[in-house]
Amino acid sequence: MNTMSSSTDVSKQEIFNDGFWYNNAIFAQLLGMCPLLGVTTSAENGFWMGLATLLVLIGSNLIVSLVRDFIPREVRIPAYIVIIASLVTVVELAMNAWMHEMYLILGLFIPLIVVNCAILGRAEAFASKNSVSDSFVDAVGMGLGFTFALLLLGSVRELLGQGQLFGFDIFGADYPDVLVFILPPGAFIALGFILAGVNLVNIRMKKKKENLAAQQVAKEATS
Amino acid sequence: MITFDKTQRKMALALFVVGLLAASMLALVDQVTQEPIAAAQREALHKGLVQVLPEHQNDPLQDVFIYKLSDTEQLQVFPARDKRGRVIGYAWEQVAPDGYSGTIRILMGIRVAGEIVAIRITEHKETPGLGDGITKDTVWLNSFVRKSLNTSTWKVKKDGGDFDQFTGATITPRAVVKAVYNGLSMYKKSRKGFYKAYKTNQKKKEDKQLANQKDGGSS
Repeated sequence: MNTMSSSTDVSKQEIFNDGFWYNNAIFAQLLGMCPLLGVTTSAENGFWMGLATLLVLIGSNLIVSLVRDFIPREVRIPAYIVIIASLVTVVELAMNAWMHEMYLILGLFIPLIVVNCAILGRAEAFASKNSVSDSFVDAVGMGLGFTFALLLLGSVRELLGQGQLFGFDIFGADYPDVLVFILPPGAFIALGFILAGVNLVNIRMKKKKENLAAQQVAKEATS
Repeated sequence: MITFDKTQRKMALALFVVGLLAASMLALVDQVTQEPIAAAQREALHKGLVQVLPEHQNDPLQDVFIYKLSDTEQLQVFPARDKRGRVIGYAWEQVAPDGYSGTIRILMGIRVAGEIVAIRITEHKETPGLGDGITKDTVWLNSFVRKSLNTSTWKVKKDGGDFDQFTGATITPRAVVKAVYNGLSMYKKSRKGFYKAYKTNQKKKEDKQLANQKDGGSS
């Protein structure tokens, strides 16, 4: 992280990093499993579903943050649900109107964004307590992190299941379809390995940080 | 009488305002997108018709007519005409009610003799990556081209027919093959009815045009 930048920049950067990686909806919170299992049969489907979710998340975080002082605590959940459901419908209508071909593929799954608890989770845990600009950064970080996770899982499943990536043959036309990766169980299996990989990366990063800190301490001691 | 305290009133008001705002937003977006959605659907239908009809000189969307299958069921039929105005083919949406998850709508186009020009899937809810191959697998879609009732055994290979199923998805192709077969049988029975309905519709259109011209002339 850049320590030279001003303090507000750091905190925005931290919010983004937290949303994209350290507190990633899929990798860390394990939220939003329903669209994850449903649509990640190919890289393209995962990517577009992620972007649709990103749009809804940005809208819902912005609105929830804007109205956070007007909504009594007792009724906040129904209010958030109404806001999120309306936004999902807006995205669905817009996709139907201006991205008709993609709508025909994803149309079935778009309404499922309503029940993606990652979105309600962000409204409740972040947007209802933070400023509009911070909530926006949080939504972008979380949304991109979610998109990245869907894209990664979609790519792995498409590659192993059909030997293709974004519809192009990677392993040649003779690749036998591996059915399990196309079906939902394959999503669980692939996700398990990806989570193991993510944990490995996190442990490595932590060790590196600890080593650096230890070196610094040693330096200070010698000087 | 029931009375509400201040916080209760505040809660009700908050929910009311949120609901009102959400409803107005939806109404607005619905208004804005209605026209583009209709246009996108027309465009998709038009694209499909160009693919499934034999080469034609008319606008099948303009010449669409209604054929009565029974007292309650109607079919929208899109005719294709050649340079000289003769009908050379028809297209319509055939419904397969027995897909893996819900109905599948198939746009099928034929020459008047009853030979398939092409089929396209217009609506389905099949599993992504499995059953939805019916929309993307061009080799499979092309296996219907130039087929008619008696050129093929109208079943998937697993059931002893001529059409491929997919790895892991038999139900979806089976439903499509069956629906296309039903469509062809229906056409065989209603070939004359199609033409009659087409003629009546054209005549109605001409009469209307004539009437319009007369109106325009007299005023």
